[in-house]
Amino acid sequence: MSRGAGRLTFVARKAGWALLTLAFILAVNFFLFRIMPGDPAALLARSQRLSPEALAAQRAEFGLDQPLLAQFVTYMRETVSGNLGVSLVSGLDVTQLIVSRLWPTILLLGVGTALAAGIGVIGGIRGGWRRGSSFDSGSLYTSLVLYSTPEGWLGMLLLLTFAGFLGWFPAGGFRSSADGGPVDVLQHLALPVLALSLGYVGQYLLVMRSSMIEVKSMPYIALARAKGLTDPDVRRRHALPNAVLPIFTLVVLSAGFILGGAIVIETVFSWPGLGLLTYEAINTLDYPVLQGVFLVSSGAVIFTAFLADITYGLLDPRVRSA
Amino acid sequence: MGRGNFGRWRSRAALGVAVAAVAMTGGLATATSAQAEGGTTLTIGTTVAIDNPNIWAVNSTTEWESVTLQYDMMLKFSDEDLSAAPSLATGCEPNADFRVWTCSIRDDVKWSDGTPLTAKDIAFTYQFVIDHGFGYFTSYFPKGSTFETPDDYTLVWTTPKPMRGPQLPPWVYIVPEHIWAPYADKPNKEIKQASMFPTVASGPYVMTAADPGQSWTFERNPNFWGEAPHYDTIVYRLYTNQEAMVQALKSGEIQIAENLESSLLPALESIPNVAVQRVTADTWINLAFNFGGQGPDSNPLPALQDLQVRKAIAMAIDKQAIVDKVYLGAGAPGETIVRPLSVYWHLDIPDDQVIPYDPAAANAMLDEAGYPMGPDGIRLDPATGQPLILRLPTSNDTPGSEAAGRMIASFLEQVGIKAEVQPVSAGKVYDMQQSGDFDAYIWYWSGDPDPNYQLSVFTSDQCGDLSDGCWKDATYDALYAQQGEEMNQDARLALVKQAQQYVYDQVPAIVIAYPNSIAAYRTDLVTGIVPVPAGDGYLTPMYSYTSLVTATPVGAEEATDNGGDSASTPAETDSDSAGSDQAAGQEASADTGSGGGIPAWVWIVVIVAIVLVVAFVVIRRRPAAADRPDSE
Repeated sequence: MSRGAGRLTFVARKAGWALLTLAFILAVNFFLFRIMPGDPAALLARSQRLSPEALAAQRAEFGLDQPLLAQFVTYMRETVSGNLGVSLVSGLDVTQLIVSRLWPTILLLGVGTALAAGIGVIGGIRGGWRRGSSFDSGSLYTSLVLYSTPEGWLGMLLLLTFAGFLGWFPAGGFRSSADGGPVDVLQHLALPVLALSLGYVGQYLLVMRSSMIEVKSMPYIALARAKGLTDPDVRRRHALPNAVLPIFTLVVLSAGFILGGAIVIETVFSWPGLGLLTYEAINTLDYPVLQGVFLVSSGAVIFTAFLADITYGLLDPRVRSA
Repeated sequence: MGRGNFGRWRSRAALGVAVAAVAMTGGLATATSAQAEGGTTLTIGTTVAIDNPNIWAVNSTTEWESVTLQYDMMLKFSDEDLSAAPSLATGCEPNADFRVWTCSIRDDVKWSDGTPLTAKDIAFTYQFVIDHGFGYFTSYFPKGSTFETPDDYTLVWTTPKPMRGPQLPPWVYIVPEHIWAPYADKPNKEIKQASMFPTVASGPYVMTAADPGQSWTFERNPNFWGEAPHYDTIVYRLYTNQEAMVQALKSGEIQIAENLESSLLPALESIPNVAVQRVTADTWINLAFNFGGQGPDSNPLPALQDLQVRKAIAMAIDKQAIVDKVYLGAGAPGETIVRPLSVYWHLDIPDDQVIPYDPAAANAMLDEAGYPMGPDGIRLDPATGQPLILRLPTSNDTPGSEAAGRMIASFLEQVGIKAEVQPVSAGKVYDMQQSGDFDAYIWYWSGDPDPNYQLSVFTSDQCGDLSDGCWKDATYDALYAQQGEEMNQDARLALVKQAQQYVYDQVPAIVIAYPNSIAAYRTDLVTGIVPVPAGDGYLTPMYSYTSLVTATPVGAEEATDNGGDSASTPAETDSDSAGSDQAAGQEASADTGSGGGIPAWVWIVVIVAIVLVVAFVVIRRRPAAADRPDSE
């Protein structure tokens, strides 16, 4: 009974901290973007030929003529009630804008991260268990080379080779048209996912590998072997559960970063994701879009960190102190 | 048993790969066949997105193209020289004092939904624009404009003061009253979010679908009043990566590519069946001087007030070299502030009056003006004793601005002036322009075919608004006012040219270059495009939809292959894959050398080398026996 209550307060405490962090980030976001030089209304004014009166009207429409603190209060109030505002540049509803980019982003980064994590973990387990083997050296060096390769260069290389030179894949985009089916999307997804996952395999492989090596040297492994268990059984039942703990946190946190987009890959492959949206919004000082996107991505990270925090405690009985 | 585990993994993985491969090829087939249905499609690749297709939210260049394609203006930009030409109106006549213009409207135009278009739509549109203050469009209507429609096909535009009115022509697209009247009382925010597919418009195409951040589809307007277009569908595709767009052009995924950077010219020109269009662009690169007076932070170099210094700087800069190196020859050295695209108004300075590139003369001029050479090769201002050092920010929204800035800095070094180039964001340059915290900057100007706007930004009262450096010259202000009031076209032309000459002589700014806008298209897939304006004009609807109406697919059966990439590439890839040896490699490099000219075979060599290195490392590293209790 007391154990249940203990767990509840544990979760509640973590949730409280998560919410506090989110609120803090909300506040910081607001001021962060307004530090950037330039005035979004005036930038638009140049291309829109606004007279001084029209410019003033535009500023009023954006709410930029209010004192900063008043703007901040409006922002907090609206964000909390779910209204993310409209884009200063295109006039589109920010929520709608973000939602339209959500699925491509999740697809690209979700599949890419899953692939990178999957290959990395499997490779790391095998490599770490058989440290020094040809597989280990090969996978280690390959993933290090890939990890240190600039994403954009890798992406361009894949694009020029497979889409340009060989013509197996389209030269970019999410799908051929709005009625493109899943196969069409898959065709467009192949190269960007490849570029993304190849770049990040190293991250997971290294952590898994070193975790595995450390666990392998533990006394209980020697004991398990002494008891006569076969090598695969030792690995599966004794080494793996302990070695997988650090990678678990890494994977869950990576999941959180999915909604941050991957600006370089998105640019190379003309992928309509949140990364590209952020970059364009920065260039045009589109505050509502920036605030919205940062809210979504920081929210995702905070939430997954919170999840990782809680479930780690479930996985590892040693970590139960609230 | 252990080995069996991994064996199972491997076979599962192999199965997965096989399934994916089958799916891909199946997908290729589906993609190709999907494009083959539904008539002829022209796909245009662009690097700028249509964020909001709503006409009142128009902002980016592709959004402008989209509305130019769908809508008509009352008078349009002529396809020859962008002067006013009949469109929805067959003609407009002023009264004696130019305060009342009467326009006769065609009686055979229908909206895409079948409703007849009348003068009432035009009056409604103009009033709608004025009432809602849509900045760009409102600037064409003098204060106090009123519109009457004595009958369905006559529009009367009255203003308190004489005006050129319809003659400009006003760059305002006519929208249907029966669609937009319900929005007349709504706030602008809501108007800009109105979304309707298909659009109701009078032009040759209407937008039928939008895939945000991806592609935008336009279908033929069955009720179009003009010459019928040849393509059934036009699709704009977004490529955020220029090299990828060139690849797409090569593979036939797109037939026209626009907004290309000059760095891609060598790659483009080496692709067979691709024609490059170097458009005399509507922007010019501006080196503007600061004259001060914006506010407390304004502290420009005092020497810039001296005309001799500005002239010497103009003589020290080799504009042709900048065009050749920064824009790879795609452009022309700058001259006057009204760009060459405004064919009718642009002043061509006669060769013997052009400020020459002559660093020796520049040095002599500065010596004579009394700026002694300082100890470290930088001249000193005798009035302040300070060296002539220019803070030179360059805006990142102006292609080539940083490179041009650096070249200018090295030119100025030759005449004893030091320029500190500072590449910054457009937002920062805007801040600097407002505060006056700079000496000179590199930005761009773009404008209408009518020169009024471009001339206006150099007037005194634009200081604090659009004026770059707050240059205040009474003579120029008078010239500008005069051309604004002159209703006689020929007389006005003389005044406009005078104004350009005056700015050229007084050097408040230096027009560095007129960079080309670069487009390319597949000559074997599309033909018959009439550029607007004639000759070096745009292939896409910047000013008129004529170019896309005249575009014709080359042979109906070839057009249906355009969508799929596999169908049109086999012929090319066969010859390219044979290029593994040096001789064929040279040819392959010409074909596939896009994205900077590095041939594909180099990449293959690099990859093979990496694989060999990795393999070598792997083989060399033998595991220590003590580390492994079991052997493999």
